[in-house]
Amino acid sequence: MLRTSLIFVVIALLSLPFADLEITTSHPWTELGQIALGAIQPDLSALWQLKTALLNTVVFAFCGTSIGVVLGAGLAFGFSWAPIRLFCVFIRSIHEIFWAFLFLNIVGLNPICGVLSIAIPYAGIFAKVYAEIVQESDKQPLVGIPTGTGVISRFIYGVLPVIYADAKHYTTYRFECALRSSAILGFIGLPTLGYHLETAFREGTYQTAWALLYAFYLLIASLKYWLKPRLTPFYVVGAFTLLSREVTVSWANVLRFFTVDILPWPMRRVGVWSGTNHIDFSLVPVLEWIKDILITEGVEGVWNTLILTQIVLAGTGFFALLVFPFTCRHFSRWPMRPISQYVLVVLRTTPEYLLAYVFVQLWGPSMIPAVWAILLHNGAILAFLTSNNADRLQAQIDRPLRYIDRYFYEVLPRIYGQFLAFLFYRWEVIIRESAILGVLGIYTLGFYIDSAIVDHQLDKATLLILLTGTLNMSIDAVSQRVRRRLQISTKLFVLD
Amino acid sequence: MRSRIDDWSKWVLWIAIYSCLNSYSLNAICADFTFTAIPDQDTAGLQERFGKIADYLAKELKVPVKYIPVKSYSASVQAFKNNEVQLAWFGGLSGVQARLAVMHSKAIAQGKEDPNFITYFIANTNTGLSFTECFPFNIVDKTFTFGAKGSTSGRLMPEYFIQKALGKPPREVFKRVGFSGDHSKTLALVQSGSYQVGVINYKVWQKAVSAGQVDPKRLQVIWRTPSYPDYNWTIRGDVDRTYGQGFSQAVQQALIQLKAPEILNSFPRSSFISADNEMYQPILETAIELGIIRQ
Amino acid sequence: MKSDKLQNPLLFDLVDERADYQNKVALKRITLKIRQGEKIALMGPSGAGKTTLLRLLYERSQLPLNGYQNVLNEVAYVDQHYALVSQLSVLHNVYMGRLDRNSTFFNLRNLIRPQKTVLTEIELILTDLNMEQQINQTTGTLSGGQKQRTAIARAMYKGGNLLLADEPISSIDVQQAGAILDLLCQNAETIVMSLHNVDFAMKYAQRIIGLRQGEILFDQPTPHVTLTMLDTLYNP
Repeated sequence: MLRTSLIFVVIALLSLPFADLEITTSHPWTELGQIALGAIQPDLSALWQLKTALLNTVVFAFCGTSIGVVLGAGLAFGFSWAPIRLFCVFIRSIHEIFWAFLFLNIVGLNPICGVLSIAIPYAGIFAKVYAEIVQESDKQPLVGIPTGTGVISRFIYGVLPVIYADAKHYTTYRFECALRSSAILGFIGLPTLGYHLETAFREGTYQTAWALLYAFYLLIASLKYWLKPRLTPFYVVGAFTLLSREVTVSWANVLRFFTVDILPWPMRRVGVWSGTNHIDFSLVPVLEWIKDILITEGVEGVWNTLILTQIVLAGTGFFALLVFPFTCRHFSRWPMRPISQYVLVVLRTTPEYLLAYVFVQLWGPSMIPAVWAILLHNGAILAFLTSNNADRLQAQIDRPLRYIDRYFYEVLPRIYGQFLAFLFYRWEVIIRESAILGVLGIYTLGFYIDSAIVDHQLDKATLLILLTGTLNMSIDAVSQRVRRRLQISTKLFVLD
Repeated sequence: MRSRIDDWSKWVLWIAIYSCLNSYSLNAICADFTFTAIPDQDTAGLQERFGKIADYLAKELKVPVKYIPVKSYSASVQAFKNNEVQLAWFGGLSGVQARLAVMHSKAIAQGKEDPNFITYFIANTNTGLSFTECFPFNIVDKTFTFGAKGSTSGRLMPEYFIQKALGKPPREVFKRVGFSGDHSKTLALVQSGSYQVGVINYKVWQKAVSAGQVDPKRLQVIWRTPSYPDYNWTIRGDVDRTYGQGFSQAVQQALIQLKAPEILNSFPRSSFISADNEMYQPILETAIELGIIRQ
Repeated sequence: MKSDKLQNPLLFDLVDERADYQNKVALKRITLKIRQGEKIALMGPSGAGKTTLLRLLYERSQLPLNGYQNVLNEVAYVDQHYALVSQLSVLHNVYMGRLDRNSTFFNLRNLIRPQKTVLTEIELILTDLNMEQQINQTTGTLSGGQKQRTAIARAMYKGGNLLLADEPISSIDVQQAGAILDLLCQNAETIVMSLHNVDFAMKYAQRIIGLRQGEILFDQPTPHVTLTMLDTLYNP
């Protein structure tokens, strides 16, 4: 384990010289001061005008999650079949924002776009997690079911009640993530919170920005008071009702996307310029076209994405190991402990995309903003989980008195395996985020995808999105292999 | 307790059925004439400001008119392509892209300032660069920022002039190339020194100067590009079929006759004049040359 | 007595069977006939193969081609670990005994809101077992004895003519155990159960099979079984 950790640290160190880590702003502090001022004096009156955006954020999250749950549960049944498993890996390897880029072209600037962008990757995640929950659940109850019982009855009596608590817990957590995703989708134009957040940050109206942020924190902090299983059906039906008011899908657009827009340019070129819409099916130019994009933009995008990912991965680990003692009962007590816990909650609630956006405004578009944004968000989650694990350790009476001894002799050795397992689980998440942050001007894959979208070259965008998916899938596979080889498992619930 | 759950599920079912019927009837009557517009600066509160134009157009055209806000030029082109909007206020480049994507669509109006639009190259004073009449070759190896990726004045034309003068794409010319996202941001970034050199729409520059946002000790114009055509109102070719013969002409008339200063200021333009597709041929050719529009 | 038995149909006819459990031989050289109407007790120390034998019988009874289908319409099994869904109520756990006899829709509806007919029938059984108070309690919160009685209630609700029970009274106190065994014997025509308590075995079984290390040591009508024979099971 130690050796593996060292290898990853060395990889991160070797990546540093290749990373663009310059702070390009010379006066970040004035801007930072204004942001801080906005935090103290939020313009709460703005909230009333933006209530539709808040409502949309929640509605998209509800509809997206519920569709994701239904599809994911369906896919989970077939999860033992490799093609389905691969399909799930694929759909969840593409970030919500990339899905939204595509859906904006298929269904237009329409609530359906937001809902599907959440529902599809979440279906892949739900399928995986539900299947894992079932796999690890207690199988005893199945013995008591008569042999001739139908599959569905067998499931609703023998499996569903057993996994219900775990599945509910995870689904609730995912709903929180969906709220984040939903808010973020506003950054690319959907009518959610992010739409106004982006405007406010870009225009420098930080008082509005903070009012929106506070509203968002409140929304997530209050989840446990209003998100009750009993009420969920009402919320879901209500959300779909609100959604259905604005949904119009033009099949002509859907058809055009699949039969024209995403066809490689060499197939369409002659048709477009002659006005005949002729499609050319010769293979060689298409292969040339693919090769060209992969060499010019693909290679650099993948390289930068990987560099960023590996630095962030190591950084996340260090951050978590450094910070978790502050929230752990073996090292910290009142008032330090609750304060640190709140800080971690705020850090993990703030969407990493938003953090990165603010950091880019402050420091300019190098890799630094991206590194810190992803690192803080994931590090906070990892520190929280690690601290939870450590809290479960029984403190011995004759434990070392000095904290540093206690840390290295008592606590760290016991939790290190689980810590690594959690960290490697987050690897896949980190690379997904590294890719997406390119949209903000860092030259990872997202940069090239965004450029292709801006230039209305959907064929190229699709190819690059597929490349991103493939990269994420490979990381997922490597991470799985590492975890298996080290024989580490989180055993507890994984916060994905 | 059991029966309560049963009642609840009954309610859920009823609401579901109701909402299905509801959505069906609502979808059937959704044919408002819709348009979108993004100004080149100050994008907060778009709905309120552009709602006024919707009201004006509705009065003139005698059809319901709706405004939908979008985040970027590319989003407005998408909406236009998908027939979510029938009329849009585009930049020069996005207009060309939109008219390529939708056959028979046409540019019908432009701002009075738009036939002769200009981009300013601006530099932080710590670079030592100062104003020149011809292209400032000494910007090589500085850090440089465009505006939005899809902008005409903030990206397409400056990139074209850079490439023409230096014979190399910007990423080979400068030490670092960024896309600030919009003109106001470009101004802020160059003024703060995050980037040494940037390009900015001259209308935005003038407004910022008169608003006192420019500190002449820190920020300076170093070059004015030759003029080129920019923003325009573009309408889909099929509106005459949907809203009646002569509809696109009526829209053109309504725009040209628009006099209300509070509306014109949102763009910001002094008035609108008529335009046609032919005027934007230079933009199309430039975009093709830079590979933004593929040949 | 003997001639009476011969007339009853044969349920199981095992000849030199072996069975593996977790890759280890758990049963070997098992030769055994079981006829309808028999009440059989399996005895032996833990690890002797009682559970494996009961499972083997259950599996055989479920094979479509076992040849006894006309006789074995329904087989109930009481698991030694109860096999309850701890998140569901006693009522639902008992109801699970008849999942296969009702439509999926009925099962689903019954999960959301228990049907009258189901409720009355299950209440009756639970009253017999002194469990009517706990009918809506989730089984996770029950004591060991209550869980076991729930498992028995499920077997009784399932009914049928063969009951296979693995230590059905291991967690129930002696005073109640007799009453429960009485109930079981009334309920099922044929019973094969593993028991630890010698007195109960002697009282309720007509035939006792002694197992040790996966083999049948003796297989005798109860009156022929002596304490010395039983002793050899536990102290070789």
